[in-house]
Amino acid sequence: MELYHWEPNGASGRAMICLAEKGIDFTSHYVDLLNFEQHKPDFLKLHETGEVPVLVRDGEPYWESSYLCEYLDEAFPDKPLMPMEPLLRWEVRAWQKYVDDFVAPSVGDLAWAAYGVPAMKGRNKKELDAALERVPTKERRDVWQAAIAGVSDMQLSVSLERVRKAVRKMEEDLNPTGWLVGSDFSLADIAAFPYVNYLPRLTPRIVNEVDAPYVTAWLKSVAGRPGVRSALAMARTDDPFAVAAPGPEHVRWG
Amino acid sequence: MTVELYFFQPLGTNSGRVYLTLLEKGVDFNERELDGRQFEHLQPAYLKVNPKGQVPCLVHDGHALTEGMTINEYIDETFEGPPLRPADLRERWRMRVWCRYSEVDLGRSLMMINWNRIVPTFVGARDMDEVEKILESVPDPDRRRSWRAAFMQDTPQEEIDESHRRAKDGAGRVEKHLTTNPWFAGQSYSLADIDFFNFCGFMARWMPELVNEKDTPATTDFLAKMEERSAVKEMRSRTKGMRTTPADEQTGQQKAG
Repeated sequence: MELYHWEPNGASGRAMICLAEKGIDFTSHYVDLLNFEQHKPDFLKLHETGEVPVLVRDGEPYWESSYLCEYLDEAFPDKPLMPMEPLLRWEVRAWQKYVDDFVAPSVGDLAWAAYGVPAMKGRNKKELDAALERVPTKERRDVWQAAIAGVSDMQLSVSLERVRKAVRKMEEDLNPTGWLVGSDFSLADIAAFPYVNYLPRLTPRIVNEVDAPYVTAWLKSVAGRPGVRSALAMARTDDPFAVAAPGPEHVRWG
Repeated sequence: MTVELYFFQPLGTNSGRVYLTLLEKGVDFNERELDGRQFEHLQPAYLKVNPKGQVPCLVHDGHALTEGMTINEYIDETFEGPPLRPADLRERWRMRVWCRYSEVDLGRSLMMINWNRIVPTFVGARDMDEVEKILESVPDPDRRRSWRAAFMQDTPQEEIDESHRRAKDGAGRVEKHLTTNPWFAGQSYSLADIDFFNFCGFMARWMPELVNEKDTPATTDFLAKMEERSAVKEMRSRTKGMRTTPADEQTGQQKAG
């Protein structure tokens, strides 16, 4: 079992937390996204779009973090991260999809504007242009090009609106059990945490103890879990929630 | 133990994917057809069922379920009938990747192209005040933005061009996959085939320059194989007001079946 990943945030964070929570041993391959290691030929052999995380098991690659995590849960039934009841399983998948479609790209914009844009300043323009040339798909090249140019105020306000709505939805769903779905920690919490954990610092007026008491308490209890702690300890930066790579593309037509 | 499905005619895309899944599983369900052209899905009666004002919505024992892909997994896990998710876990993972591709990546590009073709014909004789009222009644802000862009015909041309590029790219990608795999997940028929068929199958009629016997023989065979399935035949017999080509749409012609 091998995992190609970046910092334990965003999509990489989901896979790392899932493996750690299930207690599955794996070989870690760190892919430095801000130095474009994900576009090197060896990595593209695993996943042609050049995105992390990628899990390799028995020589076969798995990507798309929501489905990668569900695969792990199906392949390793010990310490299940999916509820038994079909209705709750539907809720977990609906949360994963909601995070994939709305939360991940929106938090991605806010985090990139705060951490990525400053990190790109001072980088050699020629090197960045050469790096863009090597992005394997037009879809991802457009994302990187737009990211390097900076996030527009209009896009930021759309993303902020989505984040505000997502936090309201979380406040409702976390009440009363403290977990997003049912009465246990699940893949829904794993899907959301590596994005939402950026928000207390990115949007302190939305995510704070007064306005979002359930979300702030949930962030603490997720971060305190032994599995999550060991995944977060794999960070190479001082603070994985103070660095960012461009997020996934927004759904292009609602 | 009642099952109700709220959906639009003609059956296809999001409504079709769940409708066909119910037929494949042999689930008895009550049809709750909403008239999208009269914006029935934005009326208070339906908003009580699904506050988001979107279809499809499956109501099972009083629980309203939305999001087509997750509804379909729920149907497969809940009801008797032939399994629609592969037992092989790698195939099952691949099924989910293709479901998302058909719905979100390729599907939304096709949706952008088609809405910009079709939605202006919904406006018809309505004046702008009425259009504004309809737009305001769309509860979901993202969906409202798309409706507005389609009504006002102000989607940037480069976005539409990008969707055409992705449609072409997608036709090639799918053809390559189906050349070596009988079904999207691999060896077994699954929800991924249902999704591609409903979200993208109409490319053969609407974009024959991309999907045709000569350039995409494997995709053409796949679509023919789908049409032979008894559940698909049943869905076809229950489909109303199918528009065969964009030209029919623009002249308002409709054809049954």
